[in-house]
Amino acid sequence: MTMKKLLVPSVLAATLASVSAIALDGGPFTADQSRQGRALYAANCAQCHGAQLQGAGEAPALSGATFIAAWGNRSSDELYNLVKASMPYGNGNSLDADTYRRIVTYVLAANGAKPGSATFTGAEKVKINSVADGKMPAELAQTPAAAGGGAARPATSYPPGRFGVTVAGSLKSYDPVTDQMLAHPKDADWLMYRRTYQGWSHSPLSQINSANVKTIQLAWSWAMNEGGASEVTPIVHDGIMFLSNVANTVQALDARTGELIWENRIGPAPTRAYGATRSIALYGDKVFVPTTDAKLYALDAKTGKIVWQSVIEDAREGYSNTGGAIAIHGKILVGLTYCNRYEVKHCFISAYDADTGKVAWRFKTIALKGEPGGDSWNNLPDEFRQGAETWIAGTYDPELNTTYWGTAQAKPWTRASRDSAGGATLYANSTLALDPDNGTLKWYWSHAPGENFDLDEVFERVLVDHGPSKDLLTIGKVGILWKLNRVTGKYEDSAQTLFQNVFDKIDPKTGVPTYRKDIQDAKLGDWISSCPGPAGGHDWPATSYDPKTDLMIIPLHQSCVLMRADPMEKKIGVGGDAGSQRLFEMPGTDGNLGKLAAYNTTTMKALWSFQQKAPFLTGVLTTDGGVGFVGDFDRRFRAFETATGKTLWQTRLPTSAQGHVVSYAVDGKQYIAVESGLGGGSPVGKPTTLMPQVHHPNNGAAIFVFALPDN
Amino acid sequence: MRLGGVCALALLFAAGPALGAEQFESRLSPSPLTDGTRVNIAGEGRARAELDGNKLTLNADFHGLASNATTAELYDGPGIGIPGPKAFDLTVTPATSGQVTGSVTLTSRQAAAVRHGHFYVQINSQKAPDGNLTGWLLPPHPEASQDVPVAGPGFLPQFDVPAK
Repeated sequence: MTMKKLLVPSVLAATLASVSAIALDGGPFTADQSRQGRALYAANCAQCHGAQLQGAGEAPALSGATFIAAWGNRSSDELYNLVKASMPYGNGNSLDADTYRRIVTYVLAANGAKPGSATFTGAEKVKINSVADGKMPAELAQTPAAAGGGAARPATSYPPGRFGVTVAGSLKSYDPVTDQMLAHPKDADWLMYRRTYQGWSHSPLSQINSANVKTIQLAWSWAMNEGGASEVTPIVHDGIMFLSNVANTVQALDARTGELIWENRIGPAPTRAYGATRSIALYGDKVFVPTTDAKLYALDAKTGKIVWQSVIEDAREGYSNTGGAIAIHGKILVGLTYCNRYEVKHCFISAYDADTGKVAWRFKTIALKGEPGGDSWNNLPDEFRQGAETWIAGTYDPELNTTYWGTAQAKPWTRASRDSAGGATLYANSTLALDPDNGTLKWYWSHAPGENFDLDEVFERVLVDHGPSKDLLTIGKVGILWKLNRVTGKYEDSAQTLFQNVFDKIDPKTGVPTYRKDIQDAKLGDWISSCPGPAGGHDWPATSYDPKTDLMIIPLHQSCVLMRADPMEKKIGVGGDAGSQRLFEMPGTDGNLGKLAAYNTTTMKALWSFQQKAPFLTGVLTTDGGVGFVGDFDRRFRAFETATGKTLWQTRLPTSAQGHVVSYAVDGKQYIAVESGLGGGSPVGKPTTLMPQVHHPNNGAAIFVFALPDN
Repeated sequence: MRLGGVCALALLFAAGPALGAEQFESRLSPSPLTDGTRVNIAGEGRARAELDGNKLTLNADFHGLASNATTAELYDGPGIGIPGPKAFDLTVTPATSGQVTGSVTLTSRQAAAVRHGHFYVQINSQKAPDGNLTGWLLPPHPEASQDVPVAGPGFLPQFDVPAK
């Protein structure tokens, strides 16, 4: 009896030891699984993560030292669960379980794991660095997955079709857009990203007001391209709506009826499941389209035919444009994004002649060695100073002849990964004031010197005058609403709009923030807390400024992150963000990810706010009718009273309300336009993780236009 | 009769908050989350705590875990939303729903940390041994009604950024 008692645990221990030995002998998968997984990876993953699993843009590397640093200590079941729940990006759980299993086994094999005899089920808890060392076997490295796996396609499908002018048509007439029109737009028009040069997203139309908004109804709708990210701003001039779609497709629609007049599928099909074109621009007789493959196209506004195209940067190296454009003095100004690899090149803002497409100037957003601000990168070689993307179009003060742009954070995300120590990493996360005629820097102000968490300060710069004081307001992911003097670039004031624990001090005179001590001291491998997390605070769903009430209405997102700095090999061509993330609820929010708050921009005090479970996913629109509009992740599109925040009307859309709400008028009738769509980076990805109970379909891209009944 | 009345009064006090004690509360939510761990880290709960001098008494309920709770602990972080070291063990129902209870005596520094919102509750489970539900203990605040505007910014726990 005693012997038997002793034997049982011993047998169990021996069995466990032998299971462990088998697992360590090879990966927990068969050769057939990983071979089939290779073709499935090529078909479903390679467009974002690369044929060699090297990663690009926001898609992390799935092989090599970077992958092992991020995943080596984690288990195969966690990798499987993550891939299954969230991939393809924005379409988690859309493939069958066996496809996910095979893809994961290919990722393991591509990192040196050898096949074994057991079939991978997804439940195996094998520590990844016990079977994989990050070294890709020669036979896989020599024939990249995309080549060996058949035709690669985007993470989400795009309807096949030819490119070019696919629907020919012509506007009966077109009144060319002038500098005067852009500075003083007609009430009925919405000529640029945030409607006015000041970036207000405010319409002076008042036919729809707080008393009658409850009676608005659908005037028309129009299905848009699926298969990619979309954060559109419909642009309206003289009753024509110019609408940008996935695959850099531009359409001219009758803004009263939704009738298509012309369509140009510029292409290419989306190569990423994220990265949306937020806006196109009008100037003269042309429509200007900054595309996701980092080109700028000028289309004939009457026919949609290409007049000229200019390459902003080489898309084969990962560069893209998502921020849209602004037209100033006959030049088209655009930003650049996905500058997160180590290169001899750096991110820039550039201007192009509206008539010819010729480059007028470039302003590099990274300060290099020997340049002003070049000492803010801890003496890093120039090629390892990256980031400072400009993925939101700038604003403009005609009187000061100054254009204002925000920049993103330095790359990689964390100080430890990029080795920038306490340096400010100029001109990352700054406001830049530039001369639009020649790109000369007039002043800059660094909102987050030496940022550490993917907390961008890139968003819209809103220009407001308070008596003689010419101010600039902006808010970034930390959720601090900043007020600067836009003549001098000096700090004036700030307000905290939600809980944050990133800065433990903001100097009341200079506005310079001090990072928490443990953030300053963080090393590679440390998990460091950040509230808010990478979805903000405030993100691309933009603010609106209502001049009648002096209120800025701000969409906010409330969640936090633990971020770990992962190592990044210092080598040209290597790159990425190098941060692992774990999300958690923001303390004190009771699970409300969404918050809408109205701040008086003179006093910087909140007049009202409300919270809800779902975060907001559209920019805000305010109008002279005293009514504002905003949409959210849970498909709700609502009208609210600007002065009080009270909901006056709401409806549900097919999928997430998305993009930027606009208002326009045709023949005296006011319309409100909003998109439903997908994509959108962290503001969509984080709630997808945190709120699995909210379901929004993975299709349903469309534009919806509402108006009062005719009688 | 008189004794019975005193006992009833004592019971009433025992059941309710101690006179002059400070109250704290928290929603307990799944964390830390990734798409890879979400399958094992689920559920929610609510914790209430009372600080009477240096004595902290905590009660919480939870439900919806993906596996049975194993342990529950009080942690002493360096700030709101910032993880720190474990300070005390609590008692937890070993099930997917149940209660957490505990009564601990704090040092003066720990009591001050509770008042600053630095303490948090963590429930661990079989499938999430390093954290399943977490919540920072904060002063009582009205739970935001969905879509209902309030004056001002709403409940806004302050870190150490000085208010103007």
